[in-house]
Amino acid sequence: MRPFKYTRATSLSSAVKELSGNAQSRILAGGTNLLDLMKEDVERPEELIDITHLPYSSVKSSSQGAAKPGVLLDALGKNAETANHPLIRSQYPMLSQAILAGASAQIRNMATNGGNLLQRTRCPYFYDVAMPCNKRTPGSGCGAMEGFNRMHAVFGWSDKCIAVHPSDMAVALAALDAKVLVQNPSGQQKRLTFDEFFRLPGDAPEKDNNLQHGDLITGIELPASNFADHSYYAKVRDRSSYAFALVSVAAGLQLNGKEIIDVRIAMGGVAHKPWRALTAEKMLKGKEATEANFKAAAKAEMAAAKPHEYNKFKIELGERAIALALTKALNYGS
Amino acid sequence: MEANPITGTPLNRIDGLLKVTGKAAYATDYPVKNLAYGYLFKSTVASGTITQIDDAAAKKAPGVITIITHLNAPKLNVKGGLRGGALLQGPEIKFNGQHIGIVVAETFEQARYAARLIKVQYSNDAQAKTDFEKLAPQAVPAKEPEVRRGDVDSAMAGAAVTVDQVYETPIEHHHPMEPHATIALWEGDKLTLYNSSQIVNGAQTAAAKTLNIAPENVRIISPYIGGGFGSKGGQWANLALAAVAAKMANRPVHLALSRQQMFNSVGLRQHNIQHLKLAATKEGKLLALGHQTTTHTAIDDEYTEPCGDCSKVLYAVPNALINYKVVPMNVIMPTYTRGPGKSTGSFALESAMDELAFKLQMDPIALRLNNEPAQDPTTGKPWSSRKLVECLKEGAKAFGWDKRNPQPGKNIQGDYLVGHGVACGSYPARQRDSSAVIKLTNDNGKVQAVVELAAADLGTGTYTILAQTAADGLGLPVAQVRIKIGDSDLPPAAGSVGSVGATSYANSVNDACSKITTELMMKSGKQFFVRPTAAQLMTSERLNTFETRMDTKPLADADNYSAHSFNANFAEVWVNRFTGMVKVKRFLAVTAAGKIINPKTARSQIIGGNVWGIGMAITEESVIDPRWGNFITRSFADYHVPVNLDVGNLDAIFINEDDKHANKLGVKGIGEVGIVGVAGAIANAIFNATGKRVRELPITPDKLI
Repeated sequence: MRPFKYTRATSLSSAVKELSGNAQSRILAGGTNLLDLMKEDVERPEELIDITHLPYSSVKSSSQGAAKPGVLLDALGKNAETANHPLIRSQYPMLSQAILAGASAQIRNMATNGGNLLQRTRCPYFYDVAMPCNKRTPGSGCGAMEGFNRMHAVFGWSDKCIAVHPSDMAVALAALDAKVLVQNPSGQQKRLTFDEFFRLPGDAPEKDNNLQHGDLITGIELPASNFADHSYYAKVRDRSSYAFALVSVAAGLQLNGKEIIDVRIAMGGVAHKPWRALTAEKMLKGKEATEANFKAAAKAEMAAAKPHEYNKFKIELGERAIALALTKALNYGS
Repeated sequence: MEANPITGTPLNRIDGLLKVTGKAAYATDYPVKNLAYGYLFKSTVASGTITQIDDAAAKKAPGVITIITHLNAPKLNVKGGLRGGALLQGPEIKFNGQHIGIVVAETFEQARYAARLIKVQYSNDAQAKTDFEKLAPQAVPAKEPEVRRGDVDSAMAGAAVTVDQVYETPIEHHHPMEPHATIALWEGDKLTLYNSSQIVNGAQTAAAKTLNIAPENVRIISPYIGGGFGSKGGQWANLALAAVAAKMANRPVHLALSRQQMFNSVGLRQHNIQHLKLAATKEGKLLALGHQTTTHTAIDDEYTEPCGDCSKVLYAVPNALINYKVVPMNVIMPTYTRGPGKSTGSFALESAMDELAFKLQMDPIALRLNNEPAQDPTTGKPWSSRKLVECLKEGAKAFGWDKRNPQPGKNIQGDYLVGHGVACGSYPARQRDSSAVIKLTNDNGKVQAVVELAAADLGTGTYTILAQTAADGLGLPVAQVRIKIGDSDLPPAAGSVGSVGATSYANSVNDACSKITTELMMKSGKQFFVRPTAAQLMTSERLNTFETRMDTKPLADADNYSAHSFNANFAEVWVNRFTGMVKVKRFLAVTAAGKIINPKTARSQIIGGNVWGIGMAITEESVIDPRWGNFITRSFADYHVPVNLDVGNLDAIFINEDDKHANKLGVKGIGEVGIVGVAGAIANAIFNATGKRVRELPITPDKLI
């Protein structure tokens, strides 16, 4: 590990100030990804600003008294506590399921909700500093493009990068239309939609998201959910736990009888960011919730997929996973 | 022998408390004073020549003591017995990840940091051989001997039913929980190496020869081993390089491999392409068996996994051709990996047998029973003992085989397709020369024994089975027996490799017990109607101390018999019919392996092998990017060992077997056989569940949708 300066922040604002004062600094929260990347020499911060002890770890109703309150997740809330929180389990079961489908129990006990969004890709070419990787070293090329790209993107990739975002939690959050609360160095609070927060690789794959250096995630806001009765997180992976998604799907249905009033579908393991399956969603709105309609929507969504040599299977697997998640959501609790 | 022997009973590990309380010291746990830390740096190309090493910045980095490369390393004997080359003897690069230097610093982190500041230039070599799929057609006959009898192709041509298929298994890595790690300490000419070693004396000789020093000047200390699976049998360059670093730093040096470095430092199980041919009568009598393995080896050395070994012994078949082709590649030297050849070879053979049974519309167990050989079909020798039939029959009963639906894809349980499969396995039972010293003391009537030999306990129970053997042999309770192993200063012993450990060690300890008892009887000058125990004699003769040494060799006529452990494996899989994910819900291994000294540790060892077999079947694969020859799967995030959720209920049954020919104690060894047949049983169960025959491991979800 390269030598680095360690700073223990005394408050959020002191953390933001310290962060913005050093372009080579990073925030240390759970550390479950950052410290690994430092040991691998991928991340080379000059300074770590430790915020782990700051009192921002609650999960609470975001608007007490309102007819349908949402939920605010503080940035330093642990993944495990969030997944098992009664509000999340009852109102946002797909989020609870998604978090529990990720990593291992030990990692979920350490990892924070803010940090989860900032996980870096698990592309093996990104992790091995001897390999070319435009995300790690802009301009060095993409090792995965012509390489072993079984885990890689089928949507939204560019000729610079085909990496996928590794988070499960973020997939459910994308489906739920969550917003990311960010404090910037001048003390302003921003409220970013997932579309505003995450980005596709384009010409600058070194950027995982649209945060500026000095921005600090303070929380995640969940709008009131209409999907608690019909939601599901399906994750397909190479082993039953502690493996990244080949394909995952967060699905939520709002039903009136058999009619689909609203539907949310987000996918993991297919793009540089959690991928909202908008084509499928559009097709399903107003339709009957049937397996045949689910399959047709899934097929339409995956029709736009552009695979590489080793991940062609993700098209059929994606179709199956969307249909499965919707079917499970439909029958959720029954 | 005691009336109620402790051997054959399920005893807890005598070293268990030390392990779970952290008191068992592994190689780098020793509190050596003034310790410095080494970090290996490695080539990032697969072939070529180092043209420049710029270590100016590294030399100035904090804490750096010395930097060693081929430019300043001492001359070592590359044929000294360490595997895989990479001894810093020149600028030539033979595989990606070859060690090219060591940084020694005050701390591990400083050494690693400095190593990353070093810039290495290579001359390009476009000829690097890294793409096995492309190179396989150029493979040439390997040194591994061929078996040929009759004419397979003629028999195939005339047979009622045939199977002619290719099965493929990927590179796998051993990945013991304890990575390879060494502390090297020089005191004058004397070198002490704390180094986990499956063959203690082998590590000593290989280190000494490589370093060009006398073996008596090298001491290996290896009382506990955190797993090895073959990768700590033959030792690798890091052992000698630790000693070189300690010499050049003039300090004791700690040299440990990182998990990532384990992928290209200590061997691998190679990628095999196996072409199986089976021919049978319509009644299910085998007529021919062809088993050709095509594989790869190091660019400058040959090791071929003997994938045809089970095909040599499992079934009676008049026409057989078992042979090997190999192609050298710029990839680290392959090596013995748990159940070498038998685990991967049985996957191919037993899948083909299952395909044959399906074509014959015959029960797969009945097909196997139909082809049970009276003697070794390859050597013609009688079996020392063989209870494969009992394994199959007892296993079928215990597993509930009769409830299996022989038609694939018909057993649907909710989201799952359920299937059942069977596969057999075998592993040779061999004994190696091994010595043991027994030292008895008598402290006011309390007789205690210390048993000494340079044996190795991989964590599987060697301490415990030797304490049981000595307790019975001397007439003492286990608590009064102390086992000292894992030190090359002790009497020379075989290694814990190739399932020879328990057999060789236990026979030497048992012989030493007999010898010391006889010597004590002679010393007493008395006549005995009933043979007394050594413990009784120490008391009756009022002796304070007595010791003896025994050098045991295999039985003189052992070679006249074909001796193997055999097993039958039964798997129940649940395949998610939407996602293709596989769960092994139940697995039963029925093993006939001669005398089982400790049924508890034996069971653990078998189910441990089963777990790796599950990994082989459904999760584990190391992938090389042929453009650079590097491993793309280079951590446990990418190289998937099975997790608890992948592994359902495991059960192990041992068939009683009284083998009078394999060795005096009738112990056959169980270290390897536990993984043999596992992948085949699971692949066959997956076929029964889904109707899909997957001939390429691991069987990941993408192969089942």
